[in-house]
Amino acid sequence: MAAQKQRTERTAGKLVKFSLPVSDPSRGPHFTGCRSREQETFRCWWSAGIFQNLTEPGALRVFYRTKNALSEWQECPDYTHTVKNECYFNKTFTHIWTSYCIQLRSVRENITYDETCFTVENIVHPDPPIGLNWTLLNVSRSGLHFDILVRWAPPPSADVQTGWMSLVYQVQYRVRNASHWEMLDLESGTQQSIYGLHTDKEYEVRVRCKMSAFDNFGEFGDSILVHVAQIPSKESTFPMTLVLIFGVIGLVILLVLLIFSQQQRLMVIFLPPIPAPKIKGIDPELLKNGKLDQLNSLLSSQDMYKPDFYHEDPWVEFIQLDLDDPAEKNESSDTQHLLGLSRSGSSHVLNFKSDDDSGRASCYDPEIPNPEDLASLLPGHSGRGDNLPLVSRSSLSIPDLGVQQTSEVEETPIQTQPAVPSWVNMDFYAQVSDFTPAGGVVLSPGQLNSSPEKKKEEENEKKIQFQLVSDGAYTSENTARQLSAEVPPSPGPEQEYQTFPTQAVEGNLWNGEYLVSTSDSQIPYLLPEATPAPILPPVSDYTVVQEVDAQHSLLLNPPSSQPAICPHSPNKHLPAMPTMPMGYLTPDLLGNLTP
Amino acid sequence: MGLSVPAVAVLLVALLCLDPHGRVGSAPICAHGPSGCHVPSLADLFDRVIQHSARMHSLSNDLHSEFEQYFLPSKNHIGKTYRKCHTSNILTPNGKENAQKLAREELTEVILKLLMAWRDPLFQLHQSMAHQQDFNNFSSNKALEMGDMAHELRKGVEKVAEKMRVLGMLGNSVTGLSAAEAMLPLSDSREAMSDYELLYCFRRDSNKVQNYLKILKCRIVPEHDC
Repeated sequence: MAAQKQRTERTAGKLVKFSLPVSDPSRGPHFTGCRSREQETFRCWWSAGIFQNLTEPGALRVFYRTKNALSEWQECPDYTHTVKNECYFNKTFTHIWTSYCIQLRSVRENITYDETCFTVENIVHPDPPIGLNWTLLNVSRSGLHFDILVRWAPPPSADVQTGWMSLVYQVQYRVRNASHWEMLDLESGTQQSIYGLHTDKEYEVRVRCKMSAFDNFGEFGDSILVHVAQIPSKESTFPMTLVLIFGVIGLVILLVLLIFSQQQRLMVIFLPPIPAPKIKGIDPELLKNGKLDQLNSLLSSQDMYKPDFYHEDPWVEFIQLDLDDPAEKNESSDTQHLLGLSRSGSSHVLNFKSDDDSGRASCYDPEIPNPEDLASLLPGHSGRGDNLPLVSRSSLSIPDLGVQQTSEVEETPIQTQPAVPSWVNMDFYAQVSDFTPAGGVVLSPGQLNSSPEKKKEEENEKKIQFQLVSDGAYTSENTARQLSAEVPPSPGPEQEYQTFPTQAVEGNLWNGEYLVSTSDSQIPYLLPEATPAPILPPVSDYTVVQEVDAQHSLLLNPPSSQPAICPHSPNKHLPAMPTMPMGYLTPDLLGNLTP
Repeated sequence: MGLSVPAVAVLLVALLCLDPHGRVGSAPICAHGPSGCHVPSLADLFDRVIQHSARMHSLSNDLHSEFEQYFLPSKNHIGKTYRKCHTSNILTPNGKENAQKLAREELTEVILKLLMAWRDPLFQLHQSMAHQQDFNNFSSNKALEMGDMAHELRKGVEKVAEKMRVLGMLGNSVTGLSAAEAMLPLSDSREAMSDYELLYCFRRDSNKVQNYLKILKCRIVPEHDC
């Protein structure tokens, strides 16, 4: 019998263990395995183990029992004579799908050394296939690889024709004398192709089989050797590859040379220079397609390149006219708008548009807003539209001024005018009633206590005792109140803002800017003004600009009864003003005014 | 032409309906016998049935191995327990010669008996496997598939038997399938069978069915070396 290799296999819980003839010496007598080759007969083997005294035949006996109705133990039907320690069950005694239990006993001692149970179909190990051969399928074009087709025949003992056994086969191959076998998938047919073998290598192929749906492989058949000599490769391929390589290299060199020689031209072609803009600062596209606002902003920005006149003429005052904020402008008077007074929360500021070149705010050169704008600001024209212009005063910080306004008009007209008593009661224009030596303008307020409608009718003059200080500074509220207390009481708390360059102010600064240096000389101007009776004299809406003095300050002609307060300038004299309506200046008259 | 699409469609339909040659009718498959279409021969039927039984057996083997691998890792436990399947009462040939000696009718009956006996237990097996948390869905699906396959196989074998009877290969000694159902063995040990025992028994019985079908085919369909 063929040597039995040691193999431990799991088969449905059956003990299938085949050991080498030199079985486990440490054990006593035991079964070494049972096998069936064709599912019709089976054999069992045992070993005496360490009990050497039981090695003589007959000392150990095998008994079996089938799990049928019979439950008595029977002795092995056939002890093989040629093989030692083998019990053979022929077809008569082999029942498939039947559980067998076998026992190894020593009858003399009546000891059962080993027992095992199994069913026959679970111990089937088919014989190896026969007739293994191979044929060459093809050789690769390079001559390095080839494919073969391996064929075999099922083992003759297995009855596959009747279908009693359905076998599946497994082919294994390896390079000769290698250690690792390549395994292919199970094949139910009797042939299989092997792909990708290398020429000039010798391969070994073998095959084995097992019953499908069972796990016991049979032994391997004899191996066959596969070898295919390598077909000498064509010599023509060698220069072909060389030619290709050199051609590619030459092409690359040519390209590099071309690029380097024509570098400039290539740069122009691939990286064209970006054209510079034609007009400095103006996009020609924008000129074509831009909106009016953008164009205006653009063109006005050109002024940035012009010398800035207005820094040289610091006393120039700009009044910009903004046409928005349509709400309830009709109610407030023009003077209020002029002064930029605001009610709660609303910032109704009327802006005059400033003439860039003629905004001379002085006694002599009157700041002449556009007559049209003026006309529009008149109460009579208030019904012209919903958009009453807002007046704001945007002036620059100037040391000595005629009329000095605070900057930041856009946001702070509220702050500039809160001292004015009662927004409601203020007229659109304020009469400049006095000048300070320092150049401050003392405006007299309009009618304080009357409603806007009344004010238009009244001719009461009021005096606004305040000066607008340069540098955009504000007095603190405290000082403003203090000073306002001295001033004839105008309706109440609104008269908060008054700019007074007094010492008291200094301690109460709340915006960090300093007020105009206190000059005691200013105070006398204030105090006498403060003393008069509470009733303020009515202030007319407009005042006539008398003249402009050398310091570019406006000398205004108070209406009717009041004497001219403007300091007399020896240098300039205005021509005698013809009588004219209050405050109106026509352009031709304007020409008379300018020095 | 000013014909609209619906008008054209109506015309076409009318033509088709009126023209008898253009009519497409439905005919029963293979109504005209071998000339009409391909009628599967008995050999083909046997092959299909055998393939089906092989697949069923393979499935049962997989389930059994799975069960054993995860729940019964110890070897050699078979010896300790003796399983008596509920189909043990059915007399089945225990070897190739015995099966070959058996009459065709009896062999067919045995096959049908076996398949019938497993209808309910397989359903029970699937139920119990589906309810247990130990089995994953894959296993319980296999059990369900196994049950379905047994059912289909039984139907297939019945058809084969019918065909054999038509062809006169089976004598009239076959009492009929209803008798096979009547001869269901009653096993008192059915309730005590666990899942593992059921799997073990079905694995064995499916192998029996497969081999019996092969032998039957070999005897009925004349082939070489049979």
